[in-house]
Amino acid sequence: MVRTQLLVVGGGPAGLCGAIEASRRGVETLIADEGVELGGQLVKQTHKFFGHEGFFASVRGFEIAKRLKDQLNEHVKIMLQTTVVGIYEDVVVLYDRQSDATFEVQADYILLATGASERFIQFENNDLPGVYGAGAVQTLMNQFMVLPGKRFLMVGSGNIGLIVSYQLLQAGAEVAAIVEIADKVGGYDVHLRKVKRFGVPILLRHTIEKALGKERVTGAVVVQVDENFQPIEGTEKEFAVDAICIATGLVPSVELAAMANVKIEYVPELGGFVPYRDQNMRTNVENIFIAGDLSGIEEATTAMIEGRIAGLTIAQSITKMDLSKEIESLQNELVEFRAGPFSEKVRKGLSKFFPQRLVEYSREPQTDTGPIGKLRPIIECYENIPCNPCQTSCPTGAIEVPKNINSLPRIDYEKCTGCGICVSKCPGLAIFMVQENVEQGFDLVVVPYEMLPLPEKGERVVALSRDGKQLCEAQVVKVVRFPHMTNLVHLKVPSGFATQVRNFRVKKRENVFVCKCEEVTLEEIEKAIDLGFTDYEELRRYLRIGMGMCGGRTCRASVLSILSRRLGKSPEELLKGHFRPPIMPTKFESILRGESNEV
Amino acid sequence: MRRILEHPILKRRSTRTVKFYFEGKELEALEGETVAAALIANGIDVFGETERGRPKGFFCAIGKCSSCLMIVDGEPNVRVCITPVKEGMKVQRQFGRSDVSW
Repeated sequence: MVRTQLLVVGGGPAGLCGAIEASRRGVETLIADEGVELGGQLVKQTHKFFGHEGFFASVRGFEIAKRLKDQLNEHVKIMLQTTVVGIYEDVVVLYDRQSDATFEVQADYILLATGASERFIQFENNDLPGVYGAGAVQTLMNQFMVLPGKRFLMVGSGNIGLIVSYQLLQAGAEVAAIVEIADKVGGYDVHLRKVKRFGVPILLRHTIEKALGKERVTGAVVVQVDENFQPIEGTEKEFAVDAICIATGLVPSVELAAMANVKIEYVPELGGFVPYRDQNMRTNVENIFIAGDLSGIEEATTAMIEGRIAGLTIAQSITKMDLSKEIESLQNELVEFRAGPFSEKVRKGLSKFFPQRLVEYSREPQTDTGPIGKLRPIIECYENIPCNPCQTSCPTGAIEVPKNINSLPRIDYEKCTGCGICVSKCPGLAIFMVQENVEQGFDLVVVPYEMLPLPEKGERVVALSRDGKQLCEAQVVKVVRFPHMTNLVHLKVPSGFATQVRNFRVKKRENVFVCKCEEVTLEEIEKAIDLGFTDYEELRRYLRIGMGMCGGRTCRASVLSILSRRLGKSPEELLKGHFRPPIMPTKFESILRGESNEV
Repeated sequence: MRRILEHPILKRRSTRTVKFYFEGKELEALEGETVAAALIANGIDVFGETERGRPKGFFCAIGKCSSCLMIVDGEPNVRVCITPVKEGMKVQRQFGRSDVSW
């Protein structure tokens, strides 16, 4: 039998934060977690969080997990690979997988932070290997760096579906499509834009009908649905994919709460069956608290705040310290985080437990796009999501998120120096920079970029629109690397394209040959031209193009057109090269024989 | 090979390898990863068969759904998605509920 003042079930964002606050006040705390490491689902989150600096805004999830772990003190004991299997009136029973034995814990208080599990949906062959919960793919690729497929179908366009799609692209996979049964995308607009500008198709009013394959997934059939979500016959589309991700929601893991006599209520807005709790995260059972996704499916940030509130309330009950100020301030944080339109459902759900407060914020988007010709940010953030790193990172105070973090940002172009810090800080990758007429005939666009390969200065890339459509060629004029991996790529685009270009594609140029005889690639020729070898004869001497066995028959026309494109000159203006005999390689031996014949 | 060798955000955690056995065949895993991750990395998607004889893969990766039950070192019903792989570990496909002794 182990005794502890506080048992925390689940070491994710909510459980860790509860343990941090309680242990900081001297409460002896035991954290039990099923997984192989602490952090819960934070360890697989590679995107930067929204919110404000107090709750790790603009920090990537897996980094947040590390920081939280660092805040645990000597009052905390951690048991990994340990599942709480039962809560009884007098004891809690845990199963330790490493020793393959159960043991009992007596705890004065219990904080249940068991999270949620993937919502499984029904379609033909949904049990086939290769059908994964979106979170599972995230675990594989971001925690263990294993990619279970090459081409994915994403089912569901909530934030998880959108984020995981983007992360699949980052891991080098292809996303064939994101299908969404509703008539609009469920997740944040900024997350949607991140995948759209890579050309990922979004199919609204579509759902998956069946997975194809015998031993494992080899494809998927997707079908359009009517307004009652019924499949419309004849609209089936087949996708050749080797993995299917289900991102249709999460179900709170209420089992332990229910067996501990916590009242379970059906609140669809919070994810279905959820335990009752008050504003302090206390359930109807005096010494049992809950926090995080178990108490309603929401964001990791709100899970962290809920965990802190629970930890503080428990510490207050145990130590009799007055922590009401801290608790109240965190409750106000929650009200602020839940003030926006995306939390409307959560507010409605929570109002069944306690009254919800509202705070006002500004819905007005900025219409001024700044003075033409000045290097300046363009903020494409049109939804009221609780977030303000653009404001707090701006060194000159040019960006303001008025009233509270739910307002849309405003920028004062007079104060802005065009430093680009906001572009790299924005968790939604929603800020770009533009400058018209940076050179005669050219504009500049700066895009935040989190993909590989990172292009090099001077490289020509394909400029893409907000929808991932090819617009024009662009030249990379600068690459600014940031330690947090959102790098800025400066693109020179033809005049007029600054308002349209929001992404680019690196040209695939491996093994693209121009001269087969001497094995000279397109890339080598383009580099040489950029170095100043600007006519055919110079290129010939430098790279040996046209000096091979074919005598330039294969490559000459290509090289001239590359020169013409690169230099912006018409072929007439270019030196087409000198022509000397022999036009085909002729052996000296043959020549000598010929000469001797004459004699 | 399904390992991500280069990533714009993440660094590889471990390159130390361990050997384990899948159905008697020696495979390589990275230290610290789960059995499930090691199998998927080695191109193995079928972890067993259901009672009805359908191929079984895994689904949630965090120990919640129990799709990934396999026989590990003779022990059936091990959730391999939350079981770290160990040197010399013997992993076998599980058919149905296997031979469980309660």
